[in-house]
Amino acid sequence: MQSLWNYKTLIGPGVTYAMLPLLRRIHAGDPVRFEAAVRRHLGSFNSHPYLAAVAVGALARMEFEDASDEEIRRFRTALRGPLGTLGDRTIWAEWRPLCLLLAITLFGLGASPLLSALAFLLIYNVGHVWVRVWGFRRGWEHGRGVGRLLKEFPLERLTERLWPVTMFLLGAATVLLGRAVVETAGRSAESLPLLLVAGLTAVPAFRWPNRFGRLAIGLLLSIPIIWTLLAVASGGP
Amino acid sequence: MPLSEFSLNPGFWWLIVGIGGLLALDGVSFPQTMVSRPLISATLGGALMGRPGGGMLVGAVLELLSMRHPPYGAAKYPDTGPAGLVAGAAYAAVGGASIQALVAVLIGGWATGWAGSYSGHFRRKLNGEFVADPAHLAARSQRLEYRVGGALAIDFARGALITAGFLVPVALLAGLAAATPLTGGGAAFGAAALVTAISASIGAGARTTAPDVRAWAMVLLGALLVIATLWRPL
Repeated sequence: MQSLWNYKTLIGPGVTYAMLPLLRRIHAGDPVRFEAAVRRHLGSFNSHPYLAAVAVGALARMEFEDASDEEIRRFRTALRGPLGTLGDRTIWAEWRPLCLLLAITLFGLGASPLLSALAFLLIYNVGHVWVRVWGFRRGWEHGRGVGRLLKEFPLERLTERLWPVTMFLLGAATVLLGRAVVETAGRSAESLPLLLVAGLTAVPAFRWPNRFGRLAIGLLLSIPIIWTLLAVASGGP
Repeated sequence: MPLSEFSLNPGFWWLIVGIGGLLALDGVSFPQTMVSRPLISATLGGALMGRPGGGMLVGAVLELLSMRHPPYGAAKYPDTGPAGLVAGAAYAAVGGASIQALVAVLIGGWATGWAGSYSGHFRRKLNGEFVADPAHLAARSQRLEYRVGGALAIDFARGALITAGFLVPVALLAGLAAATPLTGGGAAFGAAALVTAISASIGAGARTTAPDVRAWAMVLLGALLVIATLWRPL
């Protein structure tokens, strides 16, 4: 869907590509209308890649019902915002982090890497594939009326209820991962206060995400510099 | 592992480069099943080198470090597929058990990810040229299909090139780091700085997930529960 994503037409060409088999059937025997339909949909369009299936189904239905060019254009304009923000909010900001944090927590608790990885891929992609299938079917069934359905997007309702779990797993995964890092450094239990203090960095980071995001990378890059200085100070390795 | 012992079979190098290309495809173009997430790609890299656990540790840290870069719209974000693969493979290749190597592959992986991101930016601009003439594409719809195939091939090649360019340097960097002993409080500082970096990243990244500041009560609960029930002296 996003193979031809570009800064001008965004996901428009991808949606058109996905619609080609449907358009060929709908406008079979009428190459002029088929060409006009393809050209119509190559324009700019924005959507989350999974929820673009809603657009594919709904726009194909409107083509099937012989909607006017103007009506399709207005529908595309109305749909692009909700499909983008709904997908970003539900899938990138909620569903994916939830599944990832679940896998990281499993790994931190001692599960094998294979099990943890498979758990993430299985759970995440059940939701992923479901969204695409649901989106296409509802888009085709409801056509121009699909906008109302997006207000009751089932995955959004699920993730809205599950956000406490995501936050809980975020805290758990951070401590488990911190502990793994401490073990890798071969440190002992007195590192616990150190970890608690380090963990408190997350609180102001929530308030000033950009500054603390840059701080995080700065800290990472500073580690080898400090190591070098320590080595020089102690007379070299 | 001493730097002098590091070697990579050429056939194996091509395999990893090819996988890097496929992971780059999964990130944006097809099929977006999220095998390109660092948690998975780094585990895969580690598994290819015989240490999936080491790979997953690298992937988990990279995952939390990249939390504040969600792929909204035209935003730039690290190309995590090749980045995770390179970092996980490099960490496992040098033994997967030192804080020095961990820091080195995290830095190498981060650099790989952002190099991939900037190459993706150019790919997006190139895609714009592919579809610049809708009338021409609409006149014969197979042209759109060929463009999609071409775009997929370019994305694969891009990911493979990024993997090829960074795999050996990051592995050598990790080997050099692992072979360098730490003095003074180096290990303690490294662990503390890395944990602080992770905490800062998740705090910043949680802004994209947390509905409001009350979410922090759940974060604290999760952290305290783990500390209270599972913590034991190392």
